[in-house]
Order: sequence, then C-alpha cells, then structure tokens
Amino acid sequence: MANPEKLIYSGFTLSVHGVLVDSEIDYIRDFIDENKRSIFDAGKLVLDFSGSPGIDSVAAAVIYGSCKKFSRAGVRVRRTGALPVIDDLFKTLAKFDSAPEPEKKRMSIHDIFENIGENVYELGNTLYSLGHFIEETMGAFAGMLIHPLKIRWPLVFYYMEESGFKAIPIISVLPGLLGMVLGYQAGYQMRVFGAETFMPALIGYSITWEIGPMLAAVLVAGRSGSAYAAEIGTMQVREEVDALRVMGFDIFNYLVTPKMIALLCVMPFLVLLANFAGIFGGLIAGVLFLDFPASTYISELGKALIPIDVLWGMLKSIVYAVLIANTGSFMGMRVRGGAAAVGKATTAAVVLSIFMVIIADALLSLLFIHIRPGLSM
Amino acid sequence: MSYQAPGMKPVLKVEHLQGGWDEQLVLDDINLQVIKGEILVIVGKSGCGKSTLMHYLLGLIKPWKGRILFKDSDIWSSPGALQRARTRWGVTFQSGALLGNLTLLENVMLPLKEYTDLPDRDIRIVAYSKLDTVGLADFADSNPLEVSGGMQKRAGLARAMALDPEVLFFDEPSAGLDPVTSASLDELIKTINSSLGTTVVIVTHELASIFAISDRVIMLDHEAHGIIAEGTAAELRDKSSDERVKAFFGRNLAAAKRSQ
Repeated sequence: MANPEKLIYSGFTLSVHGVLVDSEIDYIRDFIDENKRSIFDAGKLVLDFSGSPGIDSVAAAVIYGSCKKFSRAGVRVRRTGALPVIDDLFKTLAKFDSAPEPEKKRMSIHDIFENIGENVYELGNTLYSLGHFIEETMGAFAGMLIHPLKIRWPLVFYYMEESGFKAIPIISVLPGLLGMVLGYQAGYQMRVFGAETFMPALIGYSITWEIGPMLAAVLVAGRSGSAYAAEIGTMQVREEVDALRVMGFDIFNYLVTPKMIALLCVMPFLVLLANFAGIFGGLIAGVLFLDFPASTYISELGKALIPIDVLWGMLKSIVYAVLIANTGSFMGMRVRGGAAAVGKATTAAVVLSIFMVIIADALLSLLFIHIRPGLSM
Repeated sequence: MSYQAPGMKPVLKVEHLQGGWDEQLVLDDINLQVIKGEILVIVGKSGCGKSTLMHYLLGLIKPWKGRILFKDSDIWSSPGALQRARTRWGVTFQSGALLGNLTLLENVMLPLKEYTDLPDRDIRIVAYSKLDTVGLADFADSNPLEVSGGMQKRAGLARAMALDPEVLFFDEPSAGLDPVTSASLDELIKTINSSLGTTVVIVTHELASIFAISDRVIMLDHEAHGIIAEGTAAELRDKSSDERVKAFFGRNLAAAKRSQ
C-alpha cells in the first residue's frame, strides 16, 4: 500500500495530500470503504484538494464513482480547494457520465442485407478500377513492345528470378504430391471396375487442363502477387512512389510492367513444370501402390494427351500472369496510410488474384471445350 | 529581397486553385507566385493544407479548379508539360523517400540515368559530388535504412539536386530532426539558393527555420481554406494584425484560442 497519509478523513472533510496515481486506487477504495459508515452518518462530505497538486484520471474516476454513490444515498458532496486541473478533470468525468450510453446496435435483417449490398458494391468498384488499371498497364506494355529498349530489363530479370526461378522448388513438389494422391485415389476407385488402365489418361487430363495451371497460378499469386502488393504498398507509405512520380518516372513503366513482363515470361514454364511434376506424381503412385509399370503409364498417357492439352494450359497461364501481376500492383498502389494498410493490401491482393484466376479459368474452359477435338458434345 | 520588383518573373504561378481530399474542400481560390531565385516558405498549423498545396504544386493530384503554371505553361495542359516541368524540379520529401532497395549513391544516380546520356562513369562521379555537397560521400554505398533520419533527408536533397533543378521543393525539412541538424540543413538550403540561384519552396511549421531562411512567407489557414497572410517573416511577426498570424508567430496558445 502506498503512502497512507495521502488521504485523511476528519469531520466532514476528506482531504487529499500529494499526487494520487493509478497504482493507488486500491488504497483509495479501501480508505473510502473504511470511512463509509461515518460519511453516511454525517450526511455531507467535503473533498478538500487544497493539499494536492494534481491527481491521475484513474484515481479521479475512483473518487468520482464513490462520491456518486454517496450523493445517490442523500449525502451532499462538494469539492473545495481544487486546482483548475483537478476541477477540470471532475467536470470532464461528470460530462461523460451524464452523456447517454451509446445504444448497442443490434443487427437487423435489414442491416445484414445492407451490409451484403455494400460489400458487393465495393467489390464491383474494386473490379472496375482494377479493369482501368489493367488497361493502363496494357497501354504502357504496348508502347514498350514498339520500343523494347524502354523495357527496364534489369528489373525484369530481377523479378523473373524472384517470381520464377525461386518458385521452382515449391512448384515441383506440390503438384507432384497432388498428382500422387490423385493417381492413387483414382486408380484405387477405378480398379474396382477394372478400369485402372485409364488412370494415366485421367491424371494427364486433370493435371494438364486444370490442376497444373491452376496450382501454379495459386502458388504464384501467393508468393509473388502478395510480394508485389507489399513492395509497392510499402513504397507508397514511404512516399517513394510520389518521389518517383515527381522525378518524372512513369510509374507503370517502372513499377508495374517489369513485374508483368517477368511473370509473362516465367508463368508458362512454371505451368509446364507443374504439369511434369503432377504427371510424375501419378506415375509414382501407379508404380508404388497399383503395380502399374512405368512403361504402360507412359504409353497410356501418350495415347490420351495431344499437344493442345499442354499448350492450352501454358496459354491460360499468360492470362493468369497478367491478372496476378496487375492485381498485386494495383492493391499496392491503393495503399493509403500505414503498416496496417500494407497488410490488408497484401491479403486483398492474394484473395482477389485467386478469385480473378478462377473466374478467368472458368471462362477459358468454356472456350477450350470448343477448341479441343473430341470434347464438344 | 526585392521579390515584388517589376520585371521579376514568376517561375511558378498558381491561379484560382481549388482542391481537397475526396469530397472535403481543403484549399479554395489560392493565388500565388514563386519568384525566381527566392526562398518561399509556406507555413501554417498542422492540418491547414500545407502538404496538400505542395501535392498540387508538384502535380501529384489534379486540381478541382484553377491552373498551375510553370514558366507560363499549364502543367496539366498535356502529359508532356508535366513531365518536362518535373525534370526541372527537385523534390525532397518529409521522410527522404529514398528507394529502399538502392544505395544512397544509386538513389542519386537514378534521375541522372533517366534523363541524361552521360556514360555510367560520369553519372557516378556527378552523383558522388552531389553526395559530397550534402556531406554524405562516405556513406555512398549505405542502404537508406542504415543511416539516420537527417542523413536520409540530406541524401534526398542530393537526389533532388542531381539534375541541377530550377526549383527545389521541401516538405517539412526539419520534421523529426534535432535543432542542430535542422539548422545545418537550413544552412545547406541557403547555400544552394545563393550559390546556384535555385528557387526554393519550403513547407514547414518550424519557426526557427522560417526566420533563418525565408525571403517570403505565406501562411495558410485551415478554416479560411487559403492564404491569410503574406510577407517577410519579420513583417508577419511584428506587423500583422491578424490574431491567427500573431498566435502562430508568438507561439501563443491563448491568442490561438481567441481567434477560433
């Protein structure tokens, strides 16, 4: 317990001496508690602050709360000798105490729909601005195709290494594992019907049409889309983007197109790698669990797949590359404020890129049905 | 400084500028001229629109209304005009705004590489000499995040001066610096102004800086959405009858409360 002489009760007067701070609230409470009886009996209480240069707001709140209880019970409470600092403190407490408690808002059905509507509207808005952003990037890109020397090749190479070369380990392992699981589970089911010879074809189609390109895109969105958003977002926060702008740099040219060109260059090969890994995973599953000779697997696969199966996936990846690079950069550019905004932008970049990739994939699949021989019904 | 003398050409001119953030009006009907060779300081309390005005002067946001003329050509008349103007400007930001993935030297080399045909070796030498001007030649190969705030600002200044600009802009040069470092930066700005004849526009609220370097001061006010006073620092301090100006220059809280 702190200095016990700080509060003294005698007569009707509770005098405060020295500074009261928040670590002493237990002492204040106990002291008032001890003298409760006599205060109630007296019917009035004078708080004498003439001996105190100031008190902490927490201590004031404790005293204020007790005094309120006393006055409710009919005790007349008044302050005396308080410096303006202390007086103001009590006035502030009284002001906020008398303010009506904010009504807790209950969510009504109406609010829920309003909320959903707002979010959908917000998403629409974002997509609209993203569209504009992509349009501008493509404009800058088209200008660069005419003058390839304007492309910032060192930056392109840097991002090719960051987003492409360094993604090789994960893009060879994950699709491989997925191909293995897929091969094992599908083969197991098919064996029931004696149809396991079709397993390689199933693996080949599902990997090259969907899983390879999609998994590569999701991994790149997670690795690089987020990195782009964080990088540009941080530059935005540190005024670096403004600095580049006032130095007369074309922001798209400097920050966005190098990333996009790098992804355009590496994505098709990452997809090819994912395809190989996935198909190889299926082979391993076949050999290990289904007694499927490797040579049969390969020859069955050769019968099923035609070049367009693989090429289409690589072609799709070009669309994905544009979407991922732009969404990441766009979210970074939109950052206003501080570190929290960068975090949000990074999350939003990943979520929105994957969303965009899946939408694009769905649309492209419709097209694929008409392009690939033997698919249209 | 005879900034009002006839024949003195304004290098930068703002006509009836109106603008703000989102829907909120910050600046309304701003008219001002920056005379060649002067040091103009834009002052005001926090939130009065100093930085916003700076953003408009730099062409970072498009005004709602009005024009900004650099050497008699509207910077928003064509993308080329803004681009051309920017190659003649140097800007140092509050934080220095150096690119974090480049060294100090590379930061200074950046505008030189972009806008000159000099061979790499010469660019390097020029960048070194600029860094030397601001006393940072020994830190040329450091990363911006490894050096102190004051050094970052000086390196930002070196980068801003790389192309020998006609106008140098400073956003809060003394923010976050101790009085001594801040004074040495002021000294540096004054030297550049007098030796190279560079026009300087500074946004600040540091009284010491204002008196140390300004030729002319413009004061903005949040509620007026514009300029409430103009003159030399001493004039504003001693002769102004406006409560808000007096309060600002006298660091007078009571007067500031009265004027509200």
